[in-house]
Amino acid sequence: MAAPARAWLVFGFSPEEAAGEPGPGLAPRRLEAGPEGILRVWPAWSYVVVETGAGLEVRSAGLRRRLPGWAEALPSETHLVLRGPAEARAWRREAAVTGALQDEPAWSRALPPEPRQPLPLLPGGFATPRPPFFTALPAGLRARRLALGTEHALALGAAGEVFTWGGGRHGQLGHGTLESEPQPRLVEALAGVPMWAVAAGGWHSASISEAGDLYMWGWNESGQLALPSKALVEERAQDDVCTGNAKLVPRQEQSAAKDTPFISIQAFPALLDLPQDLEEVESSTPGAGVNMDSWDMGTSPALTRHVGSSTWWPRGCGQRRWCAGPGPPTSVCWSREALEPPSHGCCQEEDEGELCSTRPAPRPVRTWIEAAGPRRGSCLAQTPRAAPEILGC
Amino acid sequence: MAAAGGAEGADGGSALWAEVRALLPRAEEGLTLALSGEVEGCVLPLLRRARALLYSPPGPPGAAAAAALARFSDVLRDYSWEKLNAVPWREVGKGWRQVYAYGCLFGALAEVAAGRPQAAVRLCDLGLLLGAAVLDNVLARLVRALQPRLPRGTAPRDRPRPPRGSLPGVEGERPFQRVRPERPPPPPAVQPEEAIPHLHCPSLEHFRDNYLIPERPVVLEGVMNHWPCMKKWSVDYFRQVAGCRTVPVELGARYTDEEWSQQLMTVNDFISQYIMDENSVGYLAQHQLFDQIPELKEDISIPDYCCLGEGEEDDITINAWFGPGGTISPLHQDPQQNFLAQVLGRKYIRLYSPQDSENLYPHESQILHNTSQVDVEDPDLVKFPNFTKAAFQSCILMPGQILFIPVKYWHYVRSLELSFSVSFWWS
Repeated sequence: MAAPARAWLVFGFSPEEAAGEPGPGLAPRRLEAGPEGILRVWPAWSYVVVETGAGLEVRSAGLRRRLPGWAEALPSETHLVLRGPAEARAWRREAAVTGALQDEPAWSRALPPEPRQPLPLLPGGFATPRPPFFTALPAGLRARRLALGTEHALALGAAGEVFTWGGGRHGQLGHGTLESEPQPRLVEALAGVPMWAVAAGGWHSASISEAGDLYMWGWNESGQLALPSKALVEERAQDDVCTGNAKLVPRQEQSAAKDTPFISIQAFPALLDLPQDLEEVESSTPGAGVNMDSWDMGTSPALTRHVGSSTWWPRGCGQRRWCAGPGPPTSVCWSREALEPPSHGCCQEEDEGELCSTRPAPRPVRTWIEAAGPRRGSCLAQTPRAAPEILGC
Repeated sequence: MAAAGGAEGADGGSALWAEVRALLPRAEEGLTLALSGEVEGCVLPLLRRARALLYSPPGPPGAAAAAALARFSDVLRDYSWEKLNAVPWREVGKGWRQVYAYGCLFGALAEVAAGRPQAAVRLCDLGLLLGAAVLDNVLARLVRALQPRLPRGTAPRDRPRPPRGSLPGVEGERPFQRVRPERPPPPPAVQPEEAIPHLHCPSLEHFRDNYLIPERPVVLEGVMNHWPCMKKWSVDYFRQVAGCRTVPVELGARYTDEEWSQQLMTVNDFISQYIMDENSVGYLAQHQLFDQIPELKEDISIPDYCCLGEGEEDDITINAWFGPGGTISPLHQDPQQNFLAQVLGRKYIRLYSPQDSENLYPHESQILHNTSQVDVEDPDLVKFPNFTKAAFQSCILMPGQILFIPVKYWHYVRSLELSFSVSFWWS
């Protein structure tokens, strides 16, 4: 089965830098795929597990090890969970990155041979990449997707309902309070709107409805909800001073920024108003600024061509960023560090337009959801101006 | 952090670097990177690499090395910051706070090498606020070395802000004489039956037997008379001693409001924006300023009566409360005994006994369970009818007075004008 021609673009922090080696730099670069290509990616902070045509492989600075016989991965900086056809196991990170899977695992669980949902879901519950590794879910909750944040979790039910539980200090549960929930609780504000996908960042959450609307809630301290963030405005002002760059900031956006109420916690899901028709933009070089309508570009990864569309799919969340895509071709990423350095992210382009997905920031906890589409993918990254901007792939 | 820009004249840069470098252990082995708690192994290579940059080659780091050091700082701080936020603050591992402090140290040194001492001081302050002491409190020592190199008084800020309606001629004015755009509301009357008793320098025994043990509030007079702060402190004094230091400021009328938030800013910025110019409320509240700026700690003393407690003197938490008129602390209770020492300005304070807790309608949420839902000076008696049943005492706390708030006693505080208080939480 010939893999379609694909390339993965990576930007920001790299496993090499995590080891203290000089990294490949902050600009987008292609992830070396080899002849088998890269099909899926599960990043942690200092290492990444990739699925090539030949199976799973763990990559850290200067080291690549195959993980034969495993189908899916759930990595963290303390452990790596792997799922195979008959069981799931977890090893400590040190053993995992050297591929020493013959060592005694920290945890294992036999799995029945039945069609299954993707990790972190497991029959009867879900896996976490740290103790206790397996947590049961109530029998009545038939989850088809599950997303893990730093302190919370989201489950997408069979009928498109969203359940959240865990820590709620930053409003990430979406119940309108800052209280924690010990058990899965329905997000009432979204009841009646069937959801298609869910994703979780460090302390924020997102879901996309079947109609293509994007909802976000939780912590917005660095603008990860694409809502006005005071910290980003401050960062931008400081950066204007430090770098001396003259940013092309349109008048209306400046005055709007002064009156905008800043949101640091969004405890109820908020429907995001995203641009539906994205115009073509010219390609540009990293660091250049291009003004496009009311958007402003900073020193961030390259611009490239893209074609707009009208449906949005979640691509996943970093700890402090969020990534979604409008339909097949375009992905939208909100990055905390779009100026310097940009968050680690990755998008995949598909010449034949089969697949577009992005790998979000390699934080300890993140989810990544793949969606198929017929056209070339690209990324939009949010600058500290809380407006999407085009990156690209 | 931006990459290393041009430093000042090479001579000044080298001299400052030598002074700063002398604060670190002489040999690389001396910088042990020891941590008092467990952290994930992924940060250790970064700490070691950053340390290596500092020790070889000798002399101030060049532009590339400073940029690499800054990058290590960013990454270490970014990763450890997430750990600091992953659990409630009291559960945060000390090891992670030390990693954060190391990150701030490396970043501050990079800023020094790049010729930006103010940015270095800011990073040191972040490390002092959020991190835990490393290398014999190197961040505090680093600030002390850098502070003489910074402009005095109204220091240029890191982030220029558009000029607001600052009141003219405020430089050097004493707080009480500041021109105010409108008259503040008159202080509430304190009826004799609700007045808190005032005592002049009671003996330890008298205080213990009549107020501490029976848990009754009292205002102590004459105790602060010889504290240096009574003579030294003014807005200008804080600008001089602490103007360039970064502190956490509460924004918004009260912490129960939705729009309430906290922000880090320099003392200069705080004074300019929220003390001199009163467009919105900012309050430097509940901050252990005297740990961060030891110079100020020499201006105050710990009340002798604290020795009547069982705890150690080192365990006493000393907080600064500095803000304009109109700052409000909603009715709440604290789990320790409190001496509230008033240095500048006056505060209206109301106290309710813990026995009346039911009539005070505490919030049900876990975060605010120690706070009443009732607005003391404008109670909603439809929603909170039993509030009128609660008996209270009140006072207008004047400079030089110390209010004893017994443990768990409900208290409501409103400043009547620019005010600086120091609180001592002890057990």
